[in-house]
Amino acid sequence: MIRGVIVMNDRGKPRLVKFYEFQPAEKQQELIRSIYRVLCSRAENVSNFVKVDSLFGQDVRLVYKTFATLYFVFIFDSSENELAMLDLMQVFVEALDKVFSNVCELDVVFNFNKVHTILDEFILGGQVLETNSSEVVKTVEEISKMERAANSIKVVPSIPGWQGR
Amino acid sequence: MEQLKTIGRELAMGSQGGFGQSKEFLDLIKSIGETRSKNEEDRIVLREIETLKTRLANPNTPKFKLKEYLIRLLYVEMLGHDASFGYIYAVKMTHDENLLFKRTGYLAVTLFLNEDHDLIILIVNTIQKDLRSDNYLVVCAALNAVCRLINEETIPAVLPQVVELLGHQKEAVRKKAVMALHRFYQRAPGSVSHLISNFRKRLSDSDPGVMGATLCPLFDLITTDVNAYKDLVISFVNILKQVVERRLPKSFDYRQMPAPFIQIKLLKILGLLGNGDKKTSEHMYTIVGDIMRKIDSTSNIGNAVLYECICCISSIHPNPKLLEAAADAISKFLKSDSHNMKYLGIDALGRLTKISPEIAEQHQLAVIDCLEDPDDTLKRKTFELLYKMTKSSNVEVIVNRMIDYMININDNHYKTEIASRCVELAEQFAPSNQWFIQTMNKVFEHAGDLVNAKVAHNLMRLIAEGFGEDDDTADSQLRSSAVESYLHIIGEPKLPSAFLQVICWVLGEYGTADGKYSASYISGRLCDVAEAHSTDDIVKAYAVTALGKIYSFEIAAGRKAEVLPECESLIEELLASHSTDLQQRAYEVQAIVGIDAHAVENIMPMDASCEDIEIDKSLSFLDGYIQQAIEKGAQPYVPESERSGMSNISNFKSQEQHESLTHSLRFEAYELPKPSMAPHVPPVLASSTELVPVPDPYNHTEVHYSATPMPSVSNAGSSELKLRLDGVQKKWGRPSYSSPASSTSNNDAPKIQNGTTQRDSVGSANSKARDVSYESRKPQVGISPEKQKLAASLFGGASKSDRRQSSSSQKVPKNNSHSADKSHVEKTATSDTVAIKTSQPPQDLLDLGEPTGTSIPPSLDPFTQLEGLLDLTQDPTTLNTWWR
Repeated sequence: MIRGVIVMNDRGKPRLVKFYEFQPAEKQQELIRSIYRVLCSRAENVSNFVKVDSLFGQDVRLVYKTFATLYFVFIFDSSENELAMLDLMQVFVEALDKVFSNVCELDVVFNFNKVHTILDEFILGGQVLETNSSEVVKTVEEISKMERAANSIKVVPSIPGWQGR
Repeated sequence: MEQLKTIGRELAMGSQGGFGQSKEFLDLIKSIGETRSKNEEDRIVLREIETLKTRLANPNTPKFKLKEYLIRLLYVEMLGHDASFGYIYAVKMTHDENLLFKRTGYLAVTLFLNEDHDLIILIVNTIQKDLRSDNYLVVCAALNAVCRLINEETIPAVLPQVVELLGHQKEAVRKKAVMALHRFYQRAPGSVSHLISNFRKRLSDSDPGVMGATLCPLFDLITTDVNAYKDLVISFVNILKQVVERRLPKSFDYRQMPAPFIQIKLLKILGLLGNGDKKTSEHMYTIVGDIMRKIDSTSNIGNAVLYECICCISSIHPNPKLLEAAADAISKFLKSDSHNMKYLGIDALGRLTKISPEIAEQHQLAVIDCLEDPDDTLKRKTFELLYKMTKSSNVEVIVNRMIDYMININDNHYKTEIASRCVELAEQFAPSNQWFIQTMNKVFEHAGDLVNAKVAHNLMRLIAEGFGEDDDTADSQLRSSAVESYLHIIGEPKLPSAFLQVICWVLGEYGTADGKYSASYISGRLCDVAEAHSTDDIVKAYAVTALGKIYSFEIAAGRKAEVLPECESLIEELLASHSTDLQQRAYEVQAIVGIDAHAVENIMPMDASCEDIEIDKSLSFLDGYIQQAIEKGAQPYVPESERSGMSNISNFKSQEQHESLTHSLRFEAYELPKPSMAPHVPPVLASSTELVPVPDPYNHTEVHYSATPMPSVSNAGSSELKLRLDGVQKKWGRPSYSSPASSTSNNDAPKIQNGTTQRDSVGSANSKARDVSYESRKPQVGISPEKQKLAASLFGGASKSDRRQSSSSQKVPKNNSHSADKSHVEKTATSDTVAIKTSQPPQDLLDLGEPTGTSIPPSLDPFTQLEGLLDLTQDPTTLNTWWR
């Protein structure tokens, strides 16, 4: 089972935090800080895996990868395969790239609700649901379309200027 | 990934609203990004929180603004600030009809709330409605929320709808419904146990994606109960075959590999099913071999599948050909430049060495390279491997390496782990007493306060019992060398408390045993320890009791106990200690010094810490006394469970707890407790009787005793001698350590003083290890001599048969050493269950009204079984889309 997904920048600021087992806010911050400390201490050109059983309990590992200014971190237990998680991360980033066309940190910051939507298509309740980025992009686009459609009906009349006249 | 775009793009986007957010949000993020200190950031965020508070509370705020505020609130909480004031707005937003708002609301609640939050009850109704929606995207959003927010109590509210959605026409919905049901299973297995057959059904879903999703719950189910799913082996193998033969739609390909993620899940499942089961494993050999042959090992995902194959091979019943292929793959991994590959190689090696130990030998140099690698993850993995392949011939090298590494790391968690592994290996394979004691000293010196208190107790017991065997000279040698080294080390500053406790105990028990040191010398050193650690009551307690032992051994030997002035003053001081425990011990020592040799011998027998203590649990020696009392008209004892009042309440409490565990809200009123003196089981609901613990009177007293941490009982009257000694014993063993039975002990009062009471046979295994002679060392060619040496010492005797399993299988499993013997125990345990399981027909399927085809026991013809699987789908034509 996947325990959590964290995206943070190279200064330790969280950009997306999702735990599949509820963690209270303070605990989340503590975990993010500890993980950031671990990641910072890693040399370059070493493996992408870290054992984090001291933070999460028996046999929990973490896979991380840096993309430009962002650390992507997947935390999971022994029922997943490290290398496959690395690929899943790759697929996730590919999907982000497609949705935002050349994704950058700012896209993730400003649209983290959309990033959540994308992530939810990949992982549900800690289990991998989909592994094809094109499929995910298709679904996400469909959702956006529906949202826009719903919005154009509802929002327009409520613009204050219109109602005043 | 492309470089972060410059500020220009940011501004341009901001002005266009290209990010879909307002200028305000943009400014917030920008200003937080520019802060120099945490304080500055906090100030900005607190201001933002104030703004959001007033705006969210304003009833005239338009919805699209509300949505933005919620997102800003999520952002604020992600930065670690309390946003609980806004949760209710998130809940409200889920009620909105508009999909955009609804989804935002769901996102916010799934991130804000945990499944036990009070507000969830306000969302359940909306979720129910949304699960019934015509718009499948709404249904999906609701299913997402279900996975996160539904707890045991609310499962029944949505369960019927989720089950219905398993048959939804959209595969995206079916997939998510499977996941939701899986989530319910994880959260409360009991609530969905009758629906588990659905997972089997979905395995033959027309959409491979849904099938793939079903593998997740099945993996969990198989992990908990392998035998119930043996009948599916053929189906899993078939599915895997079809995947590998590219019968799945192209969209499942990833990096030119057919559905690698599904392959991985299937291989994991096969590994579980084939574990220790020759017959089942035979079905898998061909397909696993095929996968390994066909694999493209240049891609990351290809290697992921390859690694999974190795895991599967090492888990199922061994097959020589596959093992060979696995060994080849491992050597490829280890030779790779990528640290990821090396990591997997080492991990895989660890799995395979269990089956064929000679494999590690082939890769010894690669393993040593990994041990010296700058990558900490790799290093740790390698230590894990070494731990697994330790035997008597290489234990010295491995444990010394581990200790060196342990000294150099700061991570306390890992330090603890390594320390306890060192201890465990040293106990099992120590080549000599001297080495063992030295190793333990090192471990305790550097990690004494980190290791479990059990480890210290273990060491004491080991020194007391020796390495088993009836070789008394060896035992006393061990003790002498321990005493020797402790006297040497005792003066060092900053020794961890746990280590000092061991030192004091050993000096007390054996300090004067071999006659090398005089009682006054040892007692002087013990006094020094107590004085140097005047703030550590536990160490002082150990020291003063050790003094008492030294004196009593002196007296028993017919000499006069010579109490040094400094000891005298120490005892004086402790007599007035704030700690009643220390007081008690001081009084005891004082008393011992004053009595005659015969009595002392009974109170404090020499080297009797490991003698069994007989316990009269029923307190039968009091029978006469009770009889007398009853004859005089006293009330007979009524067991606590049969008493009314208090016990009723406690029973009701446990009943309540039990119900909340298994069931949802209870709406009918609880029965009134019936006050009665009648000796029957208190009134509980029939349905849950068997689960309400019926307290046994004797157990009760035990619980009371063991619940008191380090009880310091001080009733010194001779008639109550038994009770008093209970307390004394507790001081030695921590509450967790001493067995509950011993706390009611009463018979062998004198022996209790010596501490450790549990007895087990650490010995036999260790003695075996000790006896094994050194292996001849293999010379290596062409590599640096240092590495060669290391390799030789690590792997030298790998081909010898004195493997771990062989030694562990000979000894009685002891509770505090994990690893080898544990796996052995587990193995026997599982084989037991296998026997039990196979003796009765598989019932679950029949009970659930499945087509009879699936319930054919696994021993039948595989083809019939395959038909059985196909029977599952009512319409076999749907299968044809991808199945065949």
